[in-house]
Amino acid sequence: MPLLQIKNLKKKFDKKNILKGVDLTINKGEVIVIIGPSGSGKTTLLKNINFLEQPTSGEMNFKGHLINLQKLNKQNELLLRRHTAMVFQNYSLFKNKTALENITEGLIYGKKMDKNKANQIALKELNAVNLSDKKDSYPAQLSGGQQQRIGIARATALDPDLILFDEPTSALDPELVGTVIDDIDNLANKGQTMIVVTHLMSFAKRIGTKILFFEDGQIKDSGTPDKIFNHPDNKRVEEFLSAIAQDK
Amino acid sequence: MSFTGTVKALLAGLPSTLFILIVSFILSSIIGLFVAWLASQSDKFSRGLAKVYTGLSRGTPPLLMLLLAYYELPKILQFVGINANDWSKYFFAIFGLSVGFGGYMGEVFRSAFESVDRSQFEAAYSVGMERKDVFKEIILPQLFVIALPNIQNMFLSFLKATSLVYVIGIADMYQDATSLANVHQGVFQLQIFLVLGVIYWLITVVFDYLFKLYIKKHDYI
Ligand SMILES: Nc1ncnc2c1ncn2[C@@H]1O[C@H](COP(=O)(O)OP(=O)(O)OP(=O)(O)O)[C@@H](O)[C@H]1O
Ligand SMILES: [Mg+2]
Repeated sequence: MPLLQIKNLKKKFDKKNILKGVDLTINKGEVIVIIGPSGSGKTTLLKNINFLEQPTSGEMNFKGHLINLQKLNKQNELLLRRHTAMVFQNYSLFKNKTALENITEGLIYGKKMDKNKANQIALKELNAVNLSDKKDSYPAQLSGGQQQRIGIARATALDPDLILFDEPTSALDPELVGTVIDDIDNLANKGQTMIVVTHLMSFAKRIGTKILFFEDGQIKDSGTPDKIFNHPDNKRVEEFLSAIAQDK
Repeated sequence: MSFTGTVKALLAGLPSTLFILIVSFILSSIIGLFVAWLASQSDKFSRGLAKVYTGLSRGTPPLLMLLLAYYELPKILQFVGINANDWSKYFFAIFGLSVGFGGYMGEVFRSAFESVDRSQFEAAYSVGMERKDVFKEIILPQLFVIALPNIQNMFLSFLKATSLVYVIGIADMYQDATSLANVHQGVFQLQIFLVLGVIYWLITVVFDYLFKLYIKKHDYI
């Protein structure tokens, strides 16, 4: 059984259709990479998966729980949020919390863990991203790359079934991109299930078990990295890829 | 009339001044937080209520607020069957100042709330936190720190406004100064009020320093 299955997901913002019926299935251990032009609805799609945005309609099956997306309730919300995690483009760390506390917050208030246990886990996660020495620093005292690695540690500490990455490197200075990419590569190697939105094509090719080309609120093409990057069905994919290549 | 005598006489009213200052400041902060919360609600009634109160409270001079509290509030209470005739003058002073400044405090908190970086809400929800915990852990502490410079200004306005409580006959420092000047038929009036000014100034300096210490400790936001 797939970990997550979404059928005919639609999302409107003030009567404008942003997601126009998205079907998506992800199995345990898969890494789905979403590529596509700016404004096509990639961020909106991720936020409809953990209900940071309220979907307009559609169906979801998460770990065997059937959810009618039109009629979300608090239990549905908490089910998704307590079994998934998200890494944001602009890190979105809690500014009044230290690096360590940024990680423990979700453990204490989301997973209802006691503080000692939460601290132990947070220290381990900080160690995994090589930031043990920054445990008492506030976000404003950290570089963008360090903040994003804390953001990743905050997500992995929850031991989630699925992590959603929304352009995790696009706010970073070029020289800081590598360290963050390394952390995500490590996760993929450990078999972490993820959905990753990115504009870095070499990264997408390497990490993705499946690539989705997203445009105008719809999945216009999908397949293995080899298929999408070398012989896509939809010619818009080629146009998009060459436009991106020219940017560089 | 000796200098130390003057200072001593004036300082007799200091506890009253500080008591009224601190209690009504805390109460108006609570009112302000509540009004800011009302103003952030999605229903029109709550927002309308917040708007009307804020307008009235900001549009009424503190002196008038005190007089209304002292002379009119008991009549209103009488109307609903509560006899407030023997209640302490402090109650009415604190009531008038708290309600009178609540609108300003509401604005201070409302604008601070709006400048808390929104994406942190999403991050907090994404790790499974519930609304009440997000407010307690993430939003309120930041809102408070963002609002601090304005809170500091409000505090000083409050300090000055406490000198108005003499109109309902409370013996604060200002009242002491007036009585002392009257005892001497106004001969030393200027000196007495200069000393009073210096005392107010010293209080300001002390509180400014405390605020500065606190802000410095929280300048990571
Ligand atoms: N809260 C909102 N209210 C109204 N419209 C919105 C909202 N959020 C997103 N949109 C609109 O939805 C569309 C898709 O936005 P989204 O951020 O999902 O695109 P994206 O694919 O993530 O783009 P980018 O690559 O630039 O991040 C845009 O036209 C945007 O203006
Ligand atoms: Mg986006």
